[in-house]
Amino acid sequence: MNAYLSVFRMRRKMELQYRGAVIGGVICQMFFGLILVSLYRALYAGKPQTTPIEAVVGYVWLQQAFFRMLLASDAELLDKIRTGGIAYDLCRPLNLYGYYYARIMAQKLMGSLLRAAPMLGFACLLPRGMALPPPVSLPAFLVFLVCLALGLLCVCALENITMAFTMRTLDSRGVQAMLNLLMMTFSGNILPLTLFPDSWQKVITALPYAQLLDAPIRIYTGQYALAEAPRVLLVQGIWTLALAGSGVLLWRHNQKRLTVQGG
Amino acid sequence: MDTLKLYFRSMGMLLKSQLQYPASFCMQTFAQLVMEAGEFMAVILVVDRFDRLNQWMAGDLFFFFGIMSVTFYLTEIFGRGITGAFPGMVRSGQLDTLLLRPRGVLTQVLCSAIDPRRISCIAVGTAALVIGSRMAGVRWTAPKALALGEAILLGMLLVLGLFMIEAVFCIYSVKSVELVNAITYGGRSACQYPIDIYPRSLRVLFTVIAPFAMTMHVPAAYILDKPLYGWPAWTAFVCPLAGAAVFAVMYAVFRRAMRHYRSTGS
Repeated sequence: MNAYLSVFRMRRKMELQYRGAVIGGVICQMFFGLILVSLYRALYAGKPQTTPIEAVVGYVWLQQAFFRMLLASDAELLDKIRTGGIAYDLCRPLNLYGYYYARIMAQKLMGSLLRAAPMLGFACLLPRGMALPPPVSLPAFLVFLVCLALGLLCVCALENITMAFTMRTLDSRGVQAMLNLLMMTFSGNILPLTLFPDSWQKVITALPYAQLLDAPIRIYTGQYALAEAPRVLLVQGIWTLALAGSGVLLWRHNQKRLTVQGG
Repeated sequence: MDTLKLYFRSMGMLLKSQLQYPASFCMQTFAQLVMEAGEFMAVILVVDRFDRLNQWMAGDLFFFFGIMSVTFYLTEIFGRGITGAFPGMVRSGQLDTLLLRPRGVLTQVLCSAIDPRRISCIAVGTAALVIGSRMAGVRWTAPKALALGEAILLGMLLVLGLFMIEAVFCIYSVKSVELVNAITYGGRSACQYPIDIYPRSLRVLFTVIAPFAMTMHVPAAYILDKPLYGWPAWTAFVCPLAGAAVFAVMYAVFRRAMRHYRSTGS
Protein backbone atom coordinates (compact mmCIF):
# COMPACT_ATOMS: atom_id res chain seq x y z
CA MET A 1 0.00 0.00 0.00
CA ASN A 2 2.86 2.33 0.86
CA ALA A 3 4.31 1.98 -2.60
CA TYR A 4 1.06 3.07 -4.23
CA LEU A 5 0.84 6.01 -1.86
CA SER A 6 4.29 7.21 -2.84
CA VAL A 7 3.46 6.83 -6.53
CA PHE A 8 0.44 8.98 -5.83
CA ARG A 9 2.56 11.56 -4.03
CA MET A 10 5.12 11.72 -6.80
CA ARG A 11 2.56 12.27 -9.50
CA ARG A 12 0.83 14.85 -7.35
CA LYS A 13 4.04 16.85 -7.11
CA MET A 14 4.55 16.60 -10.83
CA GLU A 15 1.08 17.88 -11.51
CA LEU A 16 1.86 20.94 -9.39
CA GLN A 17 4.88 21.83 -11.54
CA TYR A 18 3.15 23.34 -14.52
CA ARG A 19 1.36 26.29 -12.97
CA GLY A 20 1.62 28.49 -16.04
CA ALA A 21 -0.27 25.97 -18.13
CA VAL A 22 -2.88 25.75 -15.40
CA ILE A 23 -3.55 29.49 -15.43
CA GLY A 24 -3.98 29.50 -19.21
CA GLY A 25 -6.24 26.49 -19.03
CA VAL A 26 -8.39 27.98 -16.29
CA ILE A 27 -8.95 31.25 -18.13
CA CYS A 28 -9.86 29.31 -21.26
CA GLN A 29 -12.28 27.17 -19.29
CA MET A 30 -13.88 30.24 -17.68
CA PHE A 31 -14.43 31.74 -21.09
CA PHE A 32 -16.09 28.58 -22.36
CA GLY A 33 -18.25 28.56 -19.22
CA LEU A 34 -19.36 32.14 -19.89
CA ILE A 35 -20.29 31.32 -23.47
CA LEU A 36 -22.31 28.27 -22.45
CA VAL A 37 -24.10 30.06 -19.61
CA SER A 38 -25.08 32.90 -21.98
CA LEU A 39 -26.31 30.39 -24.53
CA TYR A 40 -28.51 28.51 -22.07
CA ARG A 41 -29.86 31.74 -20.64
CA ALA A 42 -30.88 32.83 -24.13
CA LEU A 43 -32.51 29.46 -24.76
CA TYR A 44 -34.37 29.60 -21.45
CA ALA A 45 -35.60 33.12 -22.18
CA GLY A 46 -37.53 31.66 -25.13
CA LYS A 47 -38.89 28.52 -23.51
CA PRO A 48 -38.46 27.86 -19.79
CA GLN A 49 -38.10 24.20 -18.78
CA THR A 50 -38.95 22.11 -15.76
CA THR A 51 -35.26 22.14 -14.85
CA PRO A 52 -34.74 25.68 -13.47
CA ILE A 53 -32.10 27.85 -15.20
CA GLU A 54 -30.12 28.14 -11.94
CA ALA A 55 -29.61 24.38 -11.98
CA VAL A 56 -28.32 24.51 -15.58
CA VAL A 57 -25.97 27.40 -14.77
CA GLY A 58 -24.65 25.50 -11.76
CA TYR A 59 -24.29 22.42 -13.95
CA VAL A 60 -22.18 24.29 -16.51
CA TRP A 61 -19.83 25.80 -13.93
CA LEU A 62 -19.27 22.57 -12.05
CA GLN A 63 -18.67 20.70 -15.31
CA GLN A 64 -16.13 23.30 -16.41
CA ALA A 65 -14.44 23.30 -13.00
CA PHE A 66 -13.96 19.53 -12.85
CA PHE A 67 -13.44 19.11 -16.60
CA ARG A 68 -9.93 17.85 -15.99
CA MET A 69 -11.31 14.75 -14.29
CA LEU A 70 -12.79 13.58 -17.58
CA LEU A 71 -9.77 14.28 -19.72
CA ALA A 72 -7.57 11.28 -20.55
CA SER A 73 -4.52 12.13 -18.49
CA ASP A 74 -1.67 9.73 -19.02
CA ALA A 75 -0.22 10.49 -22.45
CA GLU A 76 3.11 9.21 -21.16
CA LEU A 77 1.74 5.72 -20.70
CA LEU A 78 0.40 5.64 -24.24
CA ASP A 79 3.88 6.48 -25.48
CA LYS A 80 5.33 3.78 -23.27
CA ILE A 81 3.01 1.24 -24.78
CA ARG A 82 3.94 2.28 -28.30
CA THR A 83 7.69 2.45 -27.71
CA GLY A 84 7.99 -0.60 -25.51
CA GLY A 85 9.03 1.42 -22.48
CA ILE A 86 6.33 -0.39 -20.59
CA ALA A 87 8.82 -3.23 -20.07
CA TYR A 88 10.40 -1.15 -17.29
CA ASP A 89 7.10 -0.86 -15.50
CA LEU A 90 6.64 -4.59 -15.74
CA CYS A 91 9.86 -5.05 -13.79
CA ARG A 92 8.49 -3.16 -10.79
CA PRO A 93 7.47 -5.34 -7.86
CA LEU A 94 4.00 -3.81 -7.93
CA ASN A 95 0.62 -4.73 -9.20
CA LEU A 96 0.46 -2.81 -12.47
CA TYR A 97 -3.23 -2.05 -12.10
CA GLY A 98 -2.68 -0.46 -8.71
CA TYR A 99 0.36 1.40 -9.98
CA TYR A 100 -1.50 3.04 -12.83
CA TYR A 101 -4.59 3.59 -10.75
CA ALA A 102 -2.54 5.62 -8.27
CA ARG A 103 -0.89 7.62 -11.04
CA ILE A 104 -4.12 8.43 -12.82
CA MET A 105 -5.85 9.34 -9.59
CA ALA A 106 -3.08 11.73 -8.55
CA GLN A 107 -3.24 13.48 -11.89
CA LYS A 108 -6.99 13.78 -11.96
CA LEU A 109 -7.35 14.82 -8.32
CA MET A 110 -4.63 17.46 -8.28
CA GLY A 111 -5.34 18.60 -11.81
CA SER A 112 -8.97 19.24 -11.12
CA LEU A 113 -8.56 20.69 -7.61
CA LEU A 114 -5.99 23.15 -8.90
CA ARG A 115 -8.35 24.28 -11.62
CA ALA A 116 -11.62 24.03 -9.73
CA ALA A 117 -10.65 26.38 -6.90
CA PRO A 118 -10.03 29.51 -9.02
CA MET A 119 -12.82 28.59 -11.45
CA LEU A 120 -15.47 28.26 -8.77
CA GLY A 121 -14.20 31.38 -7.04
CA PHE A 122 -14.61 33.31 -10.28
CA ALA A 123 -18.01 31.75 -10.96
CA CYS A 124 -19.29 32.87 -7.54
CA LEU A 125 -18.29 36.48 -8.17
CA LEU A 126 -20.25 36.85 -11.40
CA PRO A 127 -23.45 38.90 -11.44
CA ARG A 128 -26.67 37.17 -10.43
CA GLY A 129 -28.06 34.83 -13.02
CA MET A 130 -24.63 34.08 -14.43
CA ALA A 131 -23.05 33.04 -11.12
CA LEU A 132 -22.72 29.58 -9.64
CA PRO A 133 -25.71 29.20 -7.31
CA PRO A 134 -25.05 27.92 -3.76
CA PRO A 135 -25.85 24.25 -3.08
CA VAL A 136 -29.49 23.54 -2.24
CA SER A 137 -28.66 22.70 1.37
CA LEU A 138 -25.70 21.93 3.60
CA PRO A 139 -26.41 18.18 3.79
CA ALA A 140 -26.74 18.15 0.00
CA PHE A 141 -23.33 19.77 -0.25
CA LEU A 142 -21.78 17.12 1.99
CA VAL A 143 -23.37 14.33 -0.05
CA PHE A 144 -22.10 16.11 -3.17
CA LEU A 145 -18.52 15.86 -1.87
CA VAL A 146 -18.89 12.14 -1.14
CA CYS A 147 -20.49 11.61 -4.51
CA LEU A 148 -17.72 13.51 -6.28
CA ALA A 149 -15.08 11.37 -4.55
CA LEU A 150 -16.88 8.23 -5.71
CA GLY A 151 -17.04 9.72 -9.19
CA LEU A 152 -13.26 10.16 -9.11
CA LEU A 153 -12.74 6.51 -8.16
CA CYS A 154 -15.09 5.55 -10.97
CA VAL A 155 -13.38 7.64 -13.67
CA CYS A 156 -9.96 6.27 -12.73
CA ALA A 157 -11.27 2.73 -13.09
CA LEU A 158 -12.78 3.66 -16.43
CA GLU A 159 -9.55 5.13 -17.73
CA ASN A 160 -7.60 2.07 -16.67
CA ILE A 161 -9.87 -0.04 -18.84
CA THR A 162 -9.19 2.28 -21.80
CA MET A 163 -5.47 1.83 -21.14
CA ALA A 164 -5.87 -1.92 -21.12
CA PHE A 165 -7.50 -1.75 -24.55
CA THR A 166 -4.70 0.46 -25.84
CA MET A 167 -2.20 -2.21 -24.85
CA ARG A 168 -3.92 -4.58 -27.19
CA THR A 169 -4.25 -2.44 -30.29
CA LEU A 170 -1.16 -0.21 -30.21
CA ASP A 171 -2.55 2.44 -32.53
CA SER A 172 -5.67 3.17 -30.65
CA ARG A 173 -6.29 6.71 -31.81
CA GLY A 174 -9.53 5.74 -33.53
CA VAL A 175 -10.88 3.77 -30.59
CA GLN A 176 -9.75 6.44 -28.23
CA ALA A 177 -11.54 9.16 -30.12
CA MET A 178 -14.73 7.11 -29.92
CA LEU A 179 -14.37 6.52 -26.20
CA ASN A 180 -13.57 10.17 -25.73
CA LEU A 181 -16.71 11.22 -27.53
CA LEU A 182 -18.82 8.83 -25.45
CA MET A 183 -17.22 10.28 -22.35
CA MET A 184 -17.77 13.93 -23.31
CA THR A 185 -21.33 13.36 -24.51
CA PHE A 186 -22.69 11.10 -21.81
CA SER A 187 -20.94 12.72 -18.87
CA GLY A 188 -22.72 15.96 -19.72
CA ASN A 189 -19.77 18.02 -20.94
CA ILE A 190 -21.05 18.88 -24.42
CA LEU A 191 -24.63 19.38 -23.26
CA PRO A 192 -25.92 19.01 -19.68
CA LEU A 193 -27.52 15.60 -19.29
CA THR A 194 -30.52 17.33 -17.73
CA LEU A 195 -31.25 18.88 -21.15
CA PHE A 196 -31.21 15.59 -23.05
CA PRO A 197 -34.68 14.39 -24.10
CA ASP A 198 -36.73 13.26 -21.11
CA SER A 199 -37.28 9.84 -22.62
CA TRP A 200 -33.52 9.20 -22.61
CA GLN A 201 -32.99 10.13 -18.97
CA LYS A 202 -33.57 6.67 -17.51
CA VAL A 203 -30.93 5.12 -19.75
CA ILE A 204 -28.28 7.84 -19.77
CA THR A 205 -28.30 8.36 -16.01
CA ALA A 206 -27.68 4.63 -15.53
CA LEU A 207 -24.57 4.64 -17.79
CA PRO A 208 -21.18 4.68 -16.07
CA TYR A 209 -20.41 8.05 -17.66
CA ALA A 210 -23.21 9.70 -15.71
CA GLN A 211 -21.64 8.56 -12.44
CA LEU A 212 -18.55 10.72 -12.87
CA LEU A 213 -19.82 14.28 -12.72
CA ASP A 214 -23.50 14.24 -13.58
CA ALA A 215 -24.62 12.44 -10.41
CA PRO A 216 -22.69 14.71 -8.00
CA ILE A 217 -23.80 17.84 -9.84
CA ARG A 218 -27.45 16.82 -9.75
CA ILE A 219 -27.18 16.40 -6.00
CA TYR A 220 -25.57 19.84 -5.69
CA THR A 221 -28.25 21.56 -7.74
CA GLY A 222 -31.08 19.59 -6.14
CA GLN A 223 -32.17 17.66 -9.25
CA TYR A 224 -31.71 14.59 -7.09
CA ALA A 225 -33.44 15.06 -3.74
CA LEU A 226 -31.57 14.07 -0.60
CA ALA A 227 -33.89 11.06 -0.16
CA GLU A 228 -32.57 9.73 -3.46
CA ALA A 229 -28.96 10.06 -2.36
CA PRO A 230 -28.54 6.47 -1.07
CA ARG A 231 -29.73 5.09 -4.38
CA VAL A 232 -27.41 7.39 -6.36
CA LEU A 233 -24.45 6.47 -4.20
CA LEU A 234 -25.29 2.78 -4.54
CA VAL A 235 -25.37 2.97 -8.34
CA GLN A 236 -22.05 4.81 -8.30
CA GLY A 237 -20.53 2.24 -5.96
CA ILE A 238 -21.72 -0.68 -8.07
CA TRP A 239 -20.29 0.84 -11.25
CA THR A 240 -16.98 1.61 -9.55
CA LEU A 241 -16.63 -1.95 -8.31
CA ALA A 242 -17.69 -3.43 -11.65
CA LEU A 243 -15.30 -1.23 -13.64
CA ALA A 244 -12.39 -1.77 -11.28
CA GLY A 245 -13.07 -5.52 -11.23
CA SER A 246 -13.14 -5.87 -15.00
CA GLY A 247 -10.11 -3.59 -15.23
CA VAL A 248 -8.09 -5.86 -12.95
CA LEU A 249 -9.11 -8.89 -15.00
CA LEU A 250 -8.23 -7.17 -18.29
CA TRP A 251 -4.80 -6.11 -17.04
CA ARG A 252 -4.07 -9.56 -15.71
CA HIS A 253 -5.05 -11.07 -19.03
CA ASN A 254 -2.96 -8.50 -20.92
CA GLN A 255 0.12 -9.18 -18.87
CA LYS A 256 -0.02 -12.85 -19.77
CA ARG A 257 0.04 -12.21 -23.50
CA LEU A 258 1.98 -8.99 -23.70
CA THR A 259 4.33 -8.43 -26.62
CA VAL A 260 6.76 -5.64 -25.94
CA GLN A 261 7.57 -3.44 -28.94
CA GLY A 262 11.10 -2.61 -29.89
CA GLY A 263 14.01 -2.39 -27.54
CA MET B 1 0.48 33.02 -59.26
CA ASP B 2 3.73 31.17 -58.95
CA THR B 3 3.21 30.97 -55.20
CA LEU B 4 -0.23 29.48 -55.63
CA LYS B 5 1.12 26.83 -57.98
CA LEU B 6 3.79 25.99 -55.45
CA TYR B 7 1.19 25.77 -52.72
CA PHE B 8 -1.04 23.39 -54.62
CA ARG B 9 1.86 21.21 -55.62
CA SER B 10 2.97 20.95 -52.00
CA MET B 11 -0.57 20.12 -50.94
CA GLY B 12 -0.72 17.38 -53.56
CA MET B 13 2.53 15.84 -52.38
CA LEU B 14 1.58 16.02 -48.70
CA LEU B 15 -1.78 14.47 -49.46
CA LYS B 16 -0.12 11.59 -51.24
CA SER B 17 2.22 10.99 -48.36
CA GLN B 18 -0.67 11.01 -45.89
CA LEU B 19 -2.54 8.45 -47.94
CA GLN B 20 0.36 6.02 -47.72
CA TYR B 21 -1.21 4.55 -44.59
CA PRO B 22 -4.79 4.11 -45.68
CA ALA B 23 -5.99 2.11 -42.65
CA SER B 24 -4.73 4.65 -40.13
CA PHE B 25 -6.03 7.49 -42.30
CA CYS B 26 -9.52 5.98 -42.54
CA MET B 27 -9.66 5.29 -38.85
CA GLN B 28 -8.70 8.85 -37.93
CA THR B 29 -11.04 10.33 -40.50
CA PHE B 30 -13.80 8.24 -39.01
CA ALA B 31 -12.89 9.44 -35.53
CA GLN B 32 -13.18 13.05 -36.75
CA LEU B 33 -16.56 12.26 -38.26
CA VAL B 34 -17.82 10.87 -34.98
CA MET B 35 -16.57 13.89 -33.08
CA GLU B 36 -18.17 16.46 -35.35
CA ALA B 37 -21.38 14.43 -35.55
CA GLY B 38 -21.44 14.59 -31.76
CA GLU B 39 -21.25 18.38 -31.90
CA PHE B 40 -24.07 18.47 -34.41
CA MET B 41 -26.13 16.12 -32.25
CA ALA B 42 -25.82 18.58 -29.37
CA VAL B 43 -27.37 21.29 -31.57
CA ILE B 44 -30.13 18.89 -32.64
CA LEU B 45 -30.88 18.04 -29.01
CA VAL B 46 -30.97 21.73 -28.11
CA VAL B 47 -33.44 22.37 -30.91
CA ASP B 48 -35.46 19.33 -29.83
CA ARG B 49 -35.86 20.72 -26.33
CA PHE B 50 -36.17 24.45 -26.99
CA ASP B 51 -37.67 24.57 -30.53
CA ARG B 52 -36.14 27.97 -31.24
CA LEU B 53 -33.71 30.62 -30.14
CA ASN B 54 -35.34 34.07 -30.24
CA GLN B 55 -36.30 34.54 -33.91
CA TRP B 56 -34.09 31.68 -35.10
CA MET B 57 -35.87 28.43 -35.92
CA ALA B 58 -34.40 24.94 -36.16
CA GLY B 59 -33.34 25.25 -39.81
CA ASP B 60 -31.63 28.60 -39.17
CA LEU B 61 -29.64 27.15 -36.29
CA PHE B 62 -28.46 24.20 -38.37
CA PHE B 63 -27.43 26.62 -41.10
CA PHE B 64 -25.35 28.69 -38.67
CA PHE B 65 -23.74 25.52 -37.34
CA GLY B 66 -22.97 24.36 -40.88
CA ILE B 67 -21.37 27.59 -42.08
CA MET B 68 -19.08 27.69 -39.04
CA SER B 69 -18.17 24.04 -39.31
CA VAL B 70 -17.33 24.18 -43.02
CA THR B 71 -15.29 27.37 -42.69
CA PHE B 72 -13.37 26.33 -39.60
CA TYR B 73 -12.42 22.89 -40.81
CA LEU B 74 -11.54 24.03 -44.33
CA THR B 75 -9.04 26.32 -42.65
CA GLU B 76 -7.73 23.43 -40.58
CA ILE B 77 -7.22 21.32 -43.70
CA PHE B 78 -5.47 23.90 -45.82
CA GLY B 79 -3.91 26.07 -43.12
CA ARG B 80 -2.60 23.21 -41.00
CA GLY B 81 0.86 24.78 -41.09
CA ILE B 82 -0.42 27.70 -39.01
CA THR B 83 -3.28 26.12 -37.07
CA GLY B 84 -1.35 23.10 -35.88
CA ALA B 85 2.25 22.68 -36.91
CA PHE B 86 3.75 26.09 -36.22
CA PRO B 87 4.58 25.85 -32.48
CA GLY B 88 6.36 22.57 -33.13
CA MET B 89 8.36 24.13 -35.96
CA VAL B 90 9.54 26.94 -33.69
CA ARG B 91 10.39 24.60 -30.84
CA SER B 92 12.32 22.14 -32.98
CA GLY B 93 14.16 24.80 -34.96
CA GLN B 94 12.63 23.56 -38.19
CA LEU B 95 11.59 27.11 -38.96
CA ASP B 96 15.26 28.04 -39.50
CA THR B 97 15.43 26.04 -42.70
CA LEU B 98 12.55 28.05 -44.11
CA LEU B 99 14.51 31.26 -43.64
CA LEU B 100 17.14 30.08 -46.07
CA ARG B 101 14.84 29.57 -49.02
CA PRO B 102 13.88 32.28 -51.51
CA ARG B 103 10.18 32.35 -50.57
CA GLY B 104 8.10 34.05 -47.90
CA VAL B 105 8.08 32.34 -44.52
CA LEU B 106 4.31 32.28 -44.27
CA THR B 107 3.99 30.70 -47.72
CA GLN B 108 6.39 27.97 -46.77
CA VAL B 109 4.71 27.36 -43.42
CA LEU B 110 1.39 26.98 -45.20
CA CYS B 111 2.98 24.69 -47.76
CA SER B 112 4.41 22.42 -45.09
CA ALA B 113 1.34 20.73 -43.69
CA ILE B 114 -2.13 19.53 -44.58
CA ASP B 115 -4.74 17.77 -42.48
CA PRO B 116 -7.05 15.85 -44.81
CA ARG B 117 -8.72 13.93 -41.96
CA ARG B 118 -10.92 16.97 -41.36
CA ILE B 119 -12.74 16.22 -44.59
CA SER B 120 -15.29 14.25 -42.56
CA CYS B 121 -15.99 17.27 -40.36
CA ILE B 122 -16.70 19.25 -43.51
CA ALA B 123 -19.09 16.51 -44.62
CA VAL B 124 -21.04 16.98 -41.39
CA GLY B 125 -20.96 20.76 -41.84
CA THR B 126 -22.18 20.50 -45.42
CA ALA B 127 -24.98 18.18 -44.35
CA ALA B 128 -25.97 20.73 -41.71
CA LEU B 129 -25.95 23.50 -44.34
CA VAL B 130 -28.14 21.49 -46.70
CA ILE B 131 -30.59 20.34 -44.02
CA GLY B 132 -30.66 23.83 -42.55
CA SER B 133 -31.37 25.62 -45.81
CA ARG B 134 -34.05 23.06 -46.71
CA MET B 135 -35.79 23.39 -43.36
CA ALA B 136 -35.58 27.17 -43.44
CA GLY B 137 -36.97 27.14 -47.00
CA VAL B 138 -34.13 29.16 -48.48
CA ARG B 139 -34.71 30.11 -52.12
CA TRP B 140 -31.26 30.11 -53.66
CA THR B 141 -30.41 32.98 -55.98
CA ALA B 142 -27.10 34.02 -57.50
CA PRO B 143 -26.43 36.79 -54.94
CA LYS B 144 -27.17 34.38 -52.09
CA ALA B 145 -24.78 31.74 -53.42
CA LEU B 146 -22.19 34.48 -53.85
CA ALA B 147 -22.74 35.62 -50.26
CA LEU B 148 -22.23 32.07 -48.98
CA GLY B 149 -19.05 31.60 -50.99
CA GLU B 150 -17.70 34.94 -49.85
CA ALA B 151 -18.55 34.24 -46.22
CA ILE B 152 -16.74 30.89 -46.27
CA LEU B 153 -13.70 32.20 -48.11
CA LEU B 154 -13.24 35.30 -46.00
CA GLY B 155 -14.17 33.34 -42.90
CA MET B 156 -11.21 31.09 -43.64
CA LEU B 157 -8.94 34.13 -43.78
CA LEU B 158 -10.37 35.26 -40.44
CA VAL B 159 -9.74 31.91 -38.74
CA LEU B 160 -6.25 31.79 -40.21
CA GLY B 161 -5.60 35.31 -38.96
CA LEU B 162 -6.75 34.40 -35.45
CA PHE B 163 -4.51 31.34 -35.37
CA MET B 164 -1.64 33.61 -36.41
CA ILE B 165 -2.01 35.39 -33.07
CA GLU B 166 -0.86 32.18 -31.44
CA ALA B 167 1.96 31.87 -33.96
CA VAL B 168 3.17 35.38 -33.15
CA PHE B 169 3.12 34.67 -29.42
CA CYS B 170 5.01 31.51 -30.17
CA ILE B 171 7.77 33.34 -32.04
CA TYR B 172 8.42 35.46 -28.95
CA SER B 173 7.94 32.90 -26.21
CA VAL B 174 8.74 29.55 -27.93
CA LYS B 175 6.03 27.94 -25.79
CA SER B 176 2.65 27.55 -27.43
CA VAL B 177 0.17 29.79 -25.68
CA GLU B 178 -3.04 27.87 -25.18
CA LEU B 179 -4.79 30.94 -23.90
CA VAL B 180 -5.30 32.01 -27.51
CA ASN B 181 -7.51 28.95 -27.94
CA ALA B 182 -10.15 30.95 -26.12
CA ILE B 183 -10.51 33.13 -29.19
CA THR B 184 -10.14 30.48 -31.91
CA TYR B 185 -11.88 27.41 -30.53
CA GLY B 186 -13.95 29.53 -28.16
CA GLY B 187 -15.03 31.62 -31.12
CA ARG B 188 -16.02 28.53 -33.02
CA SER B 189 -18.09 27.20 -30.11
CA ALA B 190 -19.77 30.52 -29.43
CA CYS B 191 -20.42 31.54 -33.02
CA GLN B 192 -21.97 28.32 -34.18
CA TYR B 193 -25.02 30.03 -32.72
CA PRO B 194 -26.13 33.45 -34.04
CA ILE B 195 -24.40 36.38 -32.36
CA ASP B 196 -27.48 38.32 -31.26
CA ILE B 197 -28.33 35.89 -28.46
CA TYR B 198 -25.24 36.77 -26.46
CA PRO B 199 -24.78 39.53 -23.87
CA ARG B 200 -23.19 42.77 -25.00
CA SER B 201 -19.59 42.04 -24.02
CA LEU B 202 -19.43 38.78 -25.96
CA ARG B 203 -21.18 40.45 -28.89
CA VAL B 204 -18.56 43.18 -29.00
CA LEU B 205 -15.75 40.62 -28.77
CA PHE B 206 -17.02 38.55 -31.68
CA THR B 207 -18.04 41.52 -33.81
CA VAL B 208 -15.09 43.86 -33.40
CA ILE B 209 -12.08 41.92 -32.15
CA ALA B 210 -12.64 38.47 -33.62
CA PRO B 211 -15.29 39.41 -36.18
CA PHE B 212 -16.96 36.01 -36.68
CA ALA B 213 -20.29 37.81 -36.63
CA MET B 214 -19.28 40.15 -39.45
CA THR B 215 -17.81 37.49 -41.73
CA MET B 216 -20.31 34.67 -41.18
CA HIS B 217 -23.43 35.75 -39.34
CA VAL B 218 -24.31 38.82 -41.40
CA PRO B 219 -24.25 36.91 -44.73
CA ALA B 220 -25.87 33.82 -43.19
CA ALA B 221 -28.73 35.92 -41.82
CA TYR B 222 -29.10 37.57 -45.23
CA ILE B 223 -29.32 34.15 -46.92
CA LEU B 224 -31.97 33.09 -44.40
CA ASP B 225 -33.96 36.31 -45.15
CA LYS B 226 -33.74 37.38 -41.51
CA PRO B 227 -31.21 40.23 -41.73
CA LEU B 228 -29.13 40.59 -38.58
CA TYR B 229 -30.22 43.75 -36.68
CA GLY B 230 -32.31 44.57 -39.76
CA TRP B 231 -29.26 45.66 -41.74
CA PRO B 232 -29.71 46.19 -45.52
CA ALA B 233 -28.70 43.51 -48.03
CA TRP B 234 -25.46 45.15 -49.22
CA THR B 235 -23.96 44.72 -45.75
CA ALA B 236 -23.93 40.96 -46.35
CA PHE B 237 -21.29 41.55 -49.01
CA VAL B 238 -19.29 44.27 -47.28
CA CYS B 239 -19.12 43.04 -43.66
CA PRO B 240 -17.24 39.81 -44.43
CA LEU B 241 -14.30 41.97 -45.54
CA ALA B 242 -13.59 42.26 -41.82
CA GLY B 243 -12.16 38.74 -42.06
CA ALA B 244 -9.71 39.82 -44.74
CA ALA B 245 -8.82 42.87 -42.64
CA VAL B 246 -7.95 40.70 -39.64
CA PHE B 247 -5.76 38.55 -41.85
CA ALA B 248 -4.03 41.58 -43.34
CA VAL B 249 -3.30 43.02 -39.90
CA MET B 250 -2.03 39.71 -38.59
CA TYR B 251 0.12 39.26 -41.68
CA ALA B 252 1.83 42.56 -40.99
CA VAL B 253 2.27 41.65 -37.32
CA PHE B 254 3.62 38.24 -38.28
CA ARG B 255 6.24 39.77 -40.56
CA ARG B 256 7.33 42.16 -37.83
CA ALA B 257 7.52 39.30 -35.35
CA MET B 258 9.64 37.23 -37.70
CA ARG B 259 12.27 39.95 -37.57
CA HIS B 260 12.58 39.26 -33.85
CA TYR B 261 12.73 35.52 -34.37
CA ARG B 262 15.57 33.87 -32.52
CA SER B 263 16.16 30.26 -33.25
CA THR B 264 15.93 27.81 -30.37
CA GLY B 265 19.21 26.55 -31.72
CA SER B 266 18.37 22.89 -31.68
